Formats: sequence, structure tokens, C-alpha cells
Amino acid sequence: MRILLTLAVIATLGSAFTLYAVNYETRAIAEDVKRKVRAIEKAQHDISILKAERAHLARPERIAKYARELGLVPAKRGQFAGYSEPDPLKPQSMK
Amino acid sequence: MSNGVIITPGLAADALRQEAAGGFQTTRAERADDVARGEKRAVRVRALVAIGCMALGFLSVGIQLMRLAANGGADLRVSMSAPIATSFSRPEIVDRNGRLMAGDLVMQSLFADPSVVLDRDEVAEKLSTVLPGVDQEKIRKNLSDKAKRFVWVRRGLSTWQAQQIHELGLPALSFRKELRRAYPLGRTAGHILGSVDVDNKGLSGLELYLDERQNVDRVHGASLSARPAVRLSLDVAVQYGLEEELSEAMKRYSAKAALGLVMDVHTGEIVAAASLPGIDPHNVSQRADEARIDRLMNGTFELGSVFKMFTTAMALEGGKVHTGTEIDVSQPLRFGRYQIKDHHFSGRFLSVEDVFLKSSNVGSGILALGEGAERQRQFLEQLGLTSALETEAGFVAQPRLPERWGELETVTVAYGHGLAVAPMQFAAAAATLVNGGYRIKPTFLRKSEGKPPKRARVISPETSGAIRRLMRENVASGRGTGSRADVPGLEVGGKTGTAEIPGADGYEEKAVIASFVGAFPMQEPRYLTLVSLFEPKGVKETRGAITAGWNAAPTTARVIARVAPLLGYRVGGREE
Repeated sequence: MRILLTLAVIATLGSAFTLYAVNYETRAIAEDVKRKVRAIEKAQHDISILKAERAHLARPERIAKYARELGLVPAKRGQFAGYSEPDPLKPQSMK
Repeated sequence: MSNGVIITPGLAADALRQEAAGGFQTTRAERADDVARGEKRAVRVRALVAIGCMALGFLSVGIQLMRLAANGGADLRVSMSAPIATSFSRPEIVDRNGRLMAGDLVMQSLFADPSVVLDRDEVAEKLSTVLPGVDQEKIRKNLSDKAKRFVWVRRGLSTWQAQQIHELGLPALSFRKELRRAYPLGRTAGHILGSVDVDNKGLSGLELYLDERQNVDRVHGASLSARPAVRLSLDVAVQYGLEEELSEAMKRYSAKAALGLVMDVHTGEIVAAASLPGIDPHNVSQRADEARIDRLMNGTFELGSVFKMFTTAMALEGGKVHTGTEIDVSQPLRFGRYQIKDHHFSGRFLSVEDVFLKSSNVGSGILALGEGAERQRQFLEQLGLTSALETEAGFVAQPRLPERWGELETVTVAYGHGLAVAPMQFAAAAATLVNGGYRIKPTFLRKSEGKPPKRARVISPETSGAIRRLMRENVASGRGTGSRADVPGLEVGGKTGTAEIPGADGYEEKAVIASFVGAFPMQEPRYLTLVSLFEPKGVKETRGAITAGWNAAPTTARVIARVAPLLGYRVGGREE
């Protein structure tokens, strides 16, 4: 009887300890999950902003200006050649 | 013996000893035994009840623990934010190649709690140092109502603006994260994309379509949409090329407005569509500006001679004439006080082909009369020109049909007057003429490749072939009105149309809509183009002319030369 009682006390203390340990662990995990969810959200927000910025910077209106400054123009006739035709972009002297 | 008052153990033993002899002592002993047994039972019951209570208590605690573990108490949050703000999270809009055209951003919105404002003037003044253009008077007024706990001050602030306001250290101000729609391409395709309101709800264009198709989600705060991006048929590069060429044409020919369209004739996919002056989707107020309406979709116009494509197709389809049939065009057509004549060429007879190439009003009128008013109405109906048309970017303006459709109207409709349609609707019908005769529906959404859609045949492949030849002749032969639309190596074909704009008293000769409907490559057309210039002036480059052959046709050539390489076509021929 006394042994049983001792065991029960030990079991109670043990389970109480475990319960608290699990409890704190759960809270820590929940906190961690929350942190990660927030980090994901933040990353998604950043991605959306970066995507918009990228699209804004790569908009044709802006690129065209720089391209023209570099001497580039829309593709036009004279810049296309078939396999059998001489390369229209090759300087004449190299023939 | 004893009438013992005190029962001692000795006495009890005595009693036990005398048990066998019977008598009243024995009975007393039994009674004592009974009492002891009863007491024992009571103790046990009490213990059991206590244990039961404890067990129940522990059980209920256990159950409660399990319940909490299972649902984590998640249902305790929402109620605070519900009445304050709901907004809409929207999927991204991308072009056919996946380039972003519209997307949600998370931004900070500033609100105030008037009940804790200490000094209204301080708040208003300090805010104006950070937010230029803020209405101080309005802020003072909004903050004066102490009964309120929530007043928006400014929505959609950038992160650094929010930081600056935070640093002002005003206790009544707080931020909420909100979704804001951004259109990174600015004005490009502004009409088509449409716009949203301050709660990110669609107001017009494709944005409204997304709302109607339940493609948006009601959200609290700022959570981005998890829906897949909506892929459009538009190509940003082609769209920009078209808009730039149109805007240059507007300057070159001093036109008031311009519109343009590049469309896949088989699928109805719109690769580029523009109406200038355009609008910025961020700026909702521009939508109310009459000069900035979407002429392609929301305006109806009498487009003039480009309609002769339909008249010629109808006559060829009717089978009474072929392209070589000669028609006497020397006499003007008279209807009461109206007289319809050609004044820009001489000669008595014109073949059906020449009626098309020289754009003869009389010839087209005669062809239409040969088929009759009823047949004409029916033919235009088959092409979808008389009924309402809807695209994803909203309803196309309803066509305006003649009130009575007699002989006069048959003739005027034959050369594109008396019947006003939205250019988008016209283009869809014109696509039928060149794609082999199938009716198509214009769409702004990307169609899956490979599987050809089920299409209804409207005209025979032979008639479609004949129209293609005529369109090509009109550009290539030098006899037609469209020779300035040619792009070497691309087999451009098309039809010009210069329509006088109806004014207060009759048609105005100097105010016209100059249009060119083109297609390429004419052997097997894939793309249809439409360019219309509104009220172009006669300039040096056109030798004073305001007709489509001089402005809309060369603009089409520029557009096609610009976009064809982007669409995978080689602009052929060596440069001389």
C-alpha cells in the first residue's frame, strides 16, 4: 500500500513536470510558428513589392529610352537575313 | 449481572462468552457489531464519493485541456477588425508572356482615434510637414468628433512615409496594413486594365471582370491573394509599340485622338489594343474625362469606306457577281433630295475589284442594292455587327443601327455611314472576312494553345480568299488606296476608310475619322490590325490630304513593321 502511494506521488509529480514541460514546449513552438508565418507574410509582401518594382523598372517606356541612347532601334528590314543571304550586319570590308 | 452502563472490553468478551447461551446480552453484542459495520460502510461510501468527485474534477480539467489543445482558442480574434475595414485581395494580372501588369502591394494606411487627440492643430500641422498636399482643414474637422474612435487620415502610404509619421510621435495616430493595387506599367493598356477603388474593389475594365467572376477575396487587413495570376492575351512589348506609334501619328498628323488594335484572327485574342489619349489606372478621375474615353470599346463611330469590305463580301457571297463583273458607276444614285456620287475618279465602268480598290461609293451602293436591305441587315447580323458584344474588359458600346432600313440606308451602310459601331466590334467582324469565314469573339484572355476553338462559319472560304486578294491588291498593286501601308516581305493587305464626322448640321468635311484595317501576312493571315486617327489635319507630309491612305495607312505600316518582329515575323527584304 505504501509502495503504491509512493509510486502514485512520484507519478503525479512526474506527470505534472512533463505536462508543464510539454506546455512550455508547445508555447515555444506556437511562438515559432507565428514568427515563421510572419516571416512568410513579410517575404510575400517584399516579393510583391519587388515584383512591381521590377516590372516598373523594366517597363518598355523606360527601357526604350535607354536602348535608344545606346543606339538600339526597333527591329526593321535589313536586319533580317536568310541562311543563303549574306550577313547584312557584316561590314563590307570583311567579305 | 450487570446492567452495564459502560461497556468494557472485558464485558464485551463476557458477552461473547455468553453468546451461545443466548439471552438479551447476546442481542446487545450483535447490535454493537451492527453499529461498527454500519460505520465502516459509511466511511467507505464517503471515501467513494470523495474519490468520485476528485475523478470528475480531474476528468473535466483533462477534457478542457484536450479541447484547448484541439482548437487552440483560435476563434477569439476576428471581432475587433471586422467593423473597421474590409478590402479585397486580387490576383495579379500578367501579359501573355508572364510580365506583371497589375499586382497588389501591402501599404500602410494612417488612421486616427479622435478620442485621444490632445491637440488637433498640432496633429494637422505636423502631418502637413510629412505629407505634402494634405488638407489640414479636413483633418481638423475629422478629428473634432470625439465620439468617434476611428477616422482614416491617409491611405496607401509608402513605408518611409509611414516611418516619418511614426517619428512625429503623435499618440492618436496608428497604422493599418492595407492592400493597394499597383500598375507598374503606368499608362500602358490603362483602358483595358481598368481601375479599383480605395478598398481595392474593381470599378471598370478587367478589374471589374475579376470581381464579377468572383476572382477576388474579401480580406481583413492585408493578405495577398493566393489565386493564380490572370494571364492576358496582351503582349506588353506589342502594346507599347502600338501605343508609341499611335502617339507619334497623333503628333505627326495633328490628330485629336487615335486608336489601334492588333488581334489574332483565328482565336480572337487581342495582342494589343489602345485608345489615345490614354488613362493611368492609378488616376480614377481620368475616367470621367470625355477626351480620354476608350474609343475602341466605348465609342461608336461611322467608320466609312472600311465597311466596303463587308459590302463586297456580301455581293461575292450572294453569287450574282464575281470580282471581274463590270458595274456602271457613271450615274449618281438619287434618293429624294439625297444624291450619292463619286468625285475622285473618272470612267464609266468599274469592275467589282476596282470598286473595292478605288473605294467607289456608287459602286458599293449598287452592289448592296443588288442584294437588298434585308439581306444586308442579315449579313451584318451574321458578322455580329448588329448585336451587343461583351469582352472581359466590359461591354462594347451598342451598335447604332439606322431607324429605318430602306434603299437609301442600304446604300449609305454599304459605304459605312448611317450605322455606327465600336471599332472593336468592327475589327471582330473584319477578322471573319480574312480568317477563312469563321465568326470569332474578341477576348483579352490568353487561350490555351493547340486546341482550336469551335467556330461557326459565316462566309465561304472562297469569299474570304477573294477578300484577302482584294485587300492585298489594294496595298500591293499601286492601283488601290492603301499602298502606303506596305511593309516589304510581310504581305500586308487592307482597306482604307475616311469617314466624315457628323456635326451639328450635317457632315463636316474637314473633320474625319481616317481608318485603316489591315492584315498580315495576306497569304495566310494571322493578325488583323486597325488604326483610326480622329480629326487628322492636312500636313506637309500628306500634301494637305486628310484621307486614310495618307495617314492611317502609313501609320499601319509603321505599326506592323514595329510589332511583326515581336510576333515572330521576319521583316523581309534588304534595305535599298
